[in-house]
Amino acid sequence: MPDAMFPVEIVSGVPVVATPEEIDITNAGGLRAALLESAAHGSGRLVVDMSRTRFCDTAGLHALVSAHKRALADGGEVRLVISGAAVQRIFTITGLNHVIPNFTSLQEALGQTSVS
Amino acid sequence: MTAVDPVTVEARLRDIQSITDAALSRLDDRELLAELLDRIREILQVDTAAVLLLDFSSGQLIATAAAGLEEEVRQGVRIPVGRGFAGRIAAEHRPVILDRVDHTTVLNPILWAKGIQSMMGVPMVAGGKVIGVLHVGSLARRQFTGYDTELLQLTADRAAVAVQSMAAQADRVASAALQRSLVPSALPAVAGVEMAARYVPGRGGVGGDWYDVFTLPTGELCVVIGDVAGSGLAAAVIMGRMRSALRAYALETLDPGEVLARLDRKMQHFEPSALATVLYAVIDAAADQMHVCLAGHFPPVIALPGRPAELVRATPGLMIGVVGGVKRPVTAVTIPPGALLCFYTDGLLERPGELIDDGLTRLCQVVSTQPPEAACAAVMGALIGSEPARDDVALLMIWRQAWPDPPGNIAGADGA
Repeated sequence: MPDAMFPVEIVSGVPVVATPEEIDITNAGGLRAALLESAAHGSGRLVVDMSRTRFCDTAGLHALVSAHKRALADGGEVRLVISGAAVQRIFTITGLNHVIPNFTSLQEALGQTSVS
Repeated sequence: MTAVDPVTVEARLRDIQSITDAALSRLDDRELLAELLDRIREILQVDTAAVLLLDFSSGQLIATAAAGLEEEVRQGVRIPVGRGFAGRIAAEHRPVILDRVDHTTVLNPILWAKGIQSMMGVPMVAGGKVIGVLHVGSLARRQFTGYDTELLQLTADRAAVAVQSMAAQADRVASAALQRSLVPSALPAVAGVEMAARYVPGRGGVGGDWYDVFTLPTGELCVVIGDVAGSGLAAAVIMGRMRSALRAYALETLDPGEVLARLDRKMQHFEPSALATVLYAVIDAAADQMHVCLAGHFPPVIALPGRPAELVRATPGLMIGVVGGVKRPVTAVTIPPGALLCFYTDGLLERPGELIDDGLTRLCQVVSTQPPEAACAAVMGALIGSEPARDDVALLMIWRQAWPDPPGNIAGADGA
């Protein structure tokens, strides 16, 4: 069942999961479920739009890293949209900004060129 | 449908009351399970009753409680989901009735050896998932009815609640005990250095935060602080393994980058689904220099006499458990006399509706050069206050004394 906190929308054939203001241990399970469901669409690519998010703890990062690893193993890709300074900071500190492709806007993330 | 006679109605009501009896709630969960098995055996007039619980990691049903079939529990019977009688119930998520009990229908030889002729089992469900199976058996051949199945299902539902509560309780107790055993209550005594620490579980109980401080045979002081994704027993177990591995690698090399690289390789191989942030630092025996390596962890805060505290400018490195073969940059930090180092986990920084950077700014404002106990109290007071933290919090302060101790003042100090 889709989680109202993590709505999934299909944009130009690509599933886009929008994340809420805060992702932590209390809702990371919902994110994990939404990512699994989106990956099942089978298009290979998956976008996580974190532009609304201001906080993400290790539980949230765990869900994103798992989805990233799963996508790589299946020949797909997870792309993140990070526009806020707070989430950018978390991704810099954790080093994940160099591992999971990230973009500053949804348009860029949906674009064809892959940036790493 | 034929009319049910009043005597039967009364008897059925008694049966249902026996299972739903409010008095049962006064028993603890294990006693409740045993009592439910006794009562259902009596009501259905069967010879055996048993509960098998699903072990999610192995996908096997494990005999956990039994009446008239105690050997099943004592011998640790395990049935794979999908196989045999109980395995079929769990896989198909529905009641199953057997009129023939032998090796073709039942996997567990104890059941046919005992001479059981007829069996009936139902799934135990919690949160929409099968968590186990409840089954009964009769030594005399008998025809179980739809009513019998309903009563057994009612019993299974009540048992499922008890089992869930038992599992949650066991998880809480075990993870709290494990956490206590892993987070050192006594920090090592080191000449010229004072230390203090705090660990506070979050609202959801024990999480995956930990710290560790130990000395090497060559006199260096090693500092670890980390945060394993997840909570409860699963996170505490991973934390324990990381702690032991780090201590072992610390003895092999003084290079913090190499220690974390080895830890990462070990985790990726043995715990591929784990994810953690870790800070590992080696402080020289003279306590005047620190080499720190960050694996996705926040940098420490340093306070120097007469200056506002600031974040140590350390190069970030990737979290543990993401991808192998990455560079693990090490930053050298000078520790002048009187300097205070503050290590922490992100639970300290998060406040609903607030940005991480605001938390970091507040932390730097409150950390100052003072003895570490006072520094811990000041930070916890200012950043946590009286609200229970959402996530768990670990905090460790290391203070290089402004004046060295006179020789022989510190017990157990190794000549620094």
